[in-house]
Amino acid sequence: MRQTFHIDFIKKSKIFFGISLGIMLVCLILNIFVFPTLVDIQFTGGTIIKYSYSGDLKAEDIEKTINDTIKESEGLKNDTIAYSYSDNLAKSEQDSNSKIVSLQFTGNKAVSVEDKTAITEALEKAYPDSTFKEASSSSVDASKGTNFFFKCLAAVILAAVLMIFYVALRFKKIGGLSAGVMAVAALIHDLIIVYFVFAMFRMPLNDNFIAVVLMILGYSLNDTIVIYDRIRELRKKSSPKTPIGEIVNTSLNQCMVRTICTSITTIMAIGSVLVVTLIFNIDSIISFALPMMIGLISGSYSSLCIAAPLWVIWKNHQAKKKEEQKNDKVPSKNKSKKNSKKGTKSETKKSDNDSKKAELDKTETAE
Amino acid sequence: MKRIGKPVFFIVFVIILALAYTSVFGIYGENGDFKITYIKGINDMRWGIDINGGVEAVFAPDGRDATDDEMESVKAILELRLVDQNVTDYEIYPDYTNDRITVRFPWKSDETNYDPDSAISELSATASLTFRQGSEYSGEVLLEGKDVKNAYSTYQTGSDGLHQHVVVLELNDEGKEKFAEATRANLNKTISIWMDETCISAPTVENVITGGTATISGSFDAASAAKLANTINAGALPFGLKVESYSTISPSLGNSALQAMGIAAIAAMCCIFLFMLFMYRLPGFIAFIALLGQMAISIMAVSGYFPVFPSFTMTIPGIAGLILSIGMGVDANIITAERIKDELWTGKTLDGCIRNGTKGSFSAIFDGNITVIIVAIILILVFGPANIFSAIFGVSTTGLIYAFGYTLLVGVISNFIMGVGASRLMLKSISGYKFLRNKRLYGGKKSS
Repeated sequence: MRQTFHIDFIKKSKIFFGISLGIMLVCLILNIFVFPTLVDIQFTGGTIIKYSYSGDLKAEDIEKTINDTIKESEGLKNDTIAYSYSDNLAKSEQDSNSKIVSLQFTGNKAVSVEDKTAITEALEKAYPDSTFKEASSSSVDASKGTNFFFKCLAAVILAAVLMIFYVALRFKKIGGLSAGVMAVAALIHDLIIVYFVFAMFRMPLNDNFIAVVLMILGYSLNDTIVIYDRIRELRKKSSPKTPIGEIVNTSLNQCMVRTICTSITTIMAIGSVLVVTLIFNIDSIISFALPMMIGLISGSYSSLCIAAPLWVIWKNHQAKKKEEQKNDKVPSKNKSKKNSKKGTKSETKKSDNDSKKAELDKTETAE
Repeated sequence: MKRIGKPVFFIVFVIILALAYTSVFGIYGENGDFKITYIKGINDMRWGIDINGGVEAVFAPDGRDATDDEMESVKAILELRLVDQNVTDYEIYPDYTNDRITVRFPWKSDETNYDPDSAISELSATASLTFRQGSEYSGEVLLEGKDVKNAYSTYQTGSDGLHQHVVVLELNDEGKEKFAEATRANLNKTISIWMDETCISAPTVENVITGGTATISGSFDAASAAKLANTINAGALPFGLKVESYSTISPSLGNSALQAMGIAAIAAMCCIFLFMLFMYRLPGFIAFIALLGQMAISIMAVSGYFPVFPSFTMTIPGIAGLILSIGMGVDANIITAERIKDELWTGKTLDGCIRNGTKGSFSAIFDGNITVIIVAIILILVFGPANIFSAIFGVSTTGLIYAFGYTLLVGVISNFIMGVGASRLMLKSISGYKFLRNKRLYGGKKSS
């Protein structure tokens, strides 16, 4: 069969594992010491209010007005607010100097509509010429946030279980469960990468995160399945003596064009979204498109370089174990051959095959 | 191989073009000054609050558990108030398990002075039910919400022997006295029933009612009778509503987003077209036609093209899902085209290669798509309004991601129709043309 690439994935698997682990380690260190994980108010509860205004106002004046207002409120008098300022990108033409001030209340507190109205009115009164307007607001009750978080967690777990089950069912012939478990190892790899994208780019974990995680689960598994499907097919065609590592390597090389092409078209699609949202600066979609794109790359990579090689290692390990068990019973190999002659013929053949397979694979990986 | 006729390609092609055109532009007619929509296009799409701007709020009974019937009443009053504020495009999701009601509505397109705070406050205000003399709001107040014990709709035989839907009103002891007096004073006159400042019913008193149970009859059907009963009950609710969480978005913030996503969709289509043409030549071209068809079906499923499917609220993540499904959709074509290439290199005939290639690739395409379907369904379950998940965890407020799951699911299904079904028909048909039988067009070696 035609084969465009000749990459020995199995032999190079240590390099691939090294690259993945290295990236994760660096991200983990950065995550712990430099960029702590942010969690959106959707999960923690809390309030963010954004006002658009025009003209040059001093930040401290605005903050003083707001702080004075909340001191009068029963529910908020002990709270502090984190402020941030940005240009208003949705500005109209006659109002080119429009800015946005964003208020995030510390303490994950849901701010009541009455308190919000009081703040809006105070700002309007203090700066009548600056046309303060509420651009967006969001307030989530803390218990509701926790609830939502558990709902998302349950969904991710359910998705993972369903998928392992499906892979195991579909691929009984090439080792069912072990193939499913290795596919999941690749999925975990992708999820960790997606998580680090959120952490490194300072994007709070929110509903977008869950959507991306689920999407990458599906996409990465899709890639892995196409490869497993090819392994299943090649295995049927090739003689039972062919070492598993060789079959997997051929399958990977044959599937590579497809995996890369599909990744390219998918990345083109989500990439267009990312580029356009970066130009228009639509925050809510950047935190969706960027991790999605990196997740897609990671998904294709993990299917080729993590799931299949891991599975080969697992299979070889199993074969080796079997062999060792036999060797344990009888010390030397010669004896084992003699012994097995006493057993049924088919058994002899099988154990010979297994040990040969294991040896062949061992030489391959050791090179 | 069963031959597929040469004209099939053009028939499929024309059908896809027609679907694509009508799904985007719709079909409209004119009847005098009225514009009649025969088929809904993109302009009739219902956009979510992240595009049009709008309000989403979750209400909960203040300080106590509510029964399912009480929640029905809360829903009835919220609906009444929304219509009062001229909001007709609202979505309302009651969650009976956790006693929450989620309301979501976009700003009207001509709304200039939007005020989210008062919109939310008006919705959560304590219901004020009054029975007034005459049919004007200025009429004297005869009874209030606290005098009503219960109201329910039922089906009974009227005095004229006809079956009809009626609303039965039960009053408590205090109400009984007041109502007896009121009906005595207003016999054969009108007593109107008001929720806030909206008249919900204006029956004429036919008897003096002293027993504390009155029947309102009229031209009710089952639904309108139930609605009136629910609304009256809302006025008698022993609790107010508190706003548990809310989010508001001003209309100007979302407008540029829609435009941006449109540009992204067109850019993605163009890139993928060029890529597929370059990589796979003829099958690549066909893949693109199929992709147009896939987009058309996806848009139809969202816009309410078929009257049986109501139009869906489209959000920015929903559009992102559509664009993503463009990229993933060609996967079916890529797998098939790669297979055909493989077969061609073994030196078989073109027809044999196309047959084997399409047959051999099906299981991979199928398996791969199942996983995406699992994901899409779970996304719909988690972020959707009412289902098993929300029974355990409560209705979620983030309806934006719900649209992503929906478009993803629609994308995968339409991909089965177009990327697998229609592309194969077209490929087998077009390969019947002599001048298109050069194996190079399919990615094979130079034919000798």
